[in-house]
Amino acid sequence: MSRLTDWLAPTTVVHAHCDIPCGIYDPAGAQQAARTVARMVELIGQIDAGSTAVADRNKFIRCVTVKEEHAEIVKHEVQVIWSDYFKPEHLEANPDLHTKVWNLLKLAGKNKQNIDAEAAAQLEAAVKEFADIFWSTKK
Amino acid sequence: MSAVGRVAALIPAVAARVPGAAARVPALASRVPGSTAVVDFVGGGREGPWRVLVVEGSMHPALEEGDWLLVDPTVRDWPRRGTIVVFREPGADLLSIKRVAAGPGDVVRTQDGPIRLDPTQAWLLGDDRAISRDSREYGPVRSDRLLARAWFRYGPAGRTGRLTAP
Repeated sequence: MSRLTDWLAPTTVVHAHCDIPCGIYDPAGAQQAARTVARMVELIGQIDAGSTAVADRNKFIRCVTVKEEHAEIVKHEVQVIWSDYFKPEHLEANPDLHTKVWNLLKLAGKNKQNIDAEAAAQLEAAVKEFADIFWSTKK
Repeated sequence: MSAVGRVAALIPAVAARVPGAAARVPALASRVPGSTAVVDFVGGGREGPWRVLVVEGSMHPALEEGDWLLVDPTVRDWPRRGTIVVFREPGADLLSIKRVAAGPGDVVRTQDGPIRLDPTQAWLLGDDRAISRDSREYGPVRSDRLLARAWFRYGPAGRTGRLTAP
């Protein structure tokens, strides 16, 4: 058996050389972006709802913009890892991965539409779970 | 490495299912002395390689990291356009695998304007243009750096088959 497989295994490594280091993925970017979304929801909640002061209106718009952007970053970061990193054998160990990612992306969309602390917390938790699955495949 | 991982790394079908197993092959393969002796004889004394392991992803989607390929090291001249070749990357001590995008006599449009390839030169590109490091970086490659022509994928199971031009 081992003699046969010794004979079969490749003897030489060849590089399909990339300019950028491919295969380096990290869910930390998505986690940080999800944290930012939650933080922006928090800051928006602290602004006096009745205030028409320019400074408050400015802060409000900035917070909403940052929330939008970072919810989009969550979607992008998660999608790249999902499509480029995960392989069929990872799916065997995590059969509900596709559903989880789908729900996560919808949750990110919900966070763009609303100012909702609960949805933001759910997004953070979903991204954390996604990161845990990612790291479990590295063991 | 676990015993399971070690066995898995040796078998293409299993290597595909065990994360990281394929990546362990080089260490193993380097410990297989004499395994090319027979084919060296068949190849008329030309030293291999005959079986190669692909790492890195610039040939996606045609080749993936972990693919096991049969290559023909008896080639001397650049094969026709579309063929996947193993060669020594210019300016680096690295065995590289890319596709012949243009061969001797062809004119290639580069950032610095068109160049005509001389009878020894080929223009080699990775299929995943966005990330590939290839002739766009190091220019035409001379045939004395050509090592082999890739022609068949024999692992992992389910991906086996002849390699064709796109």
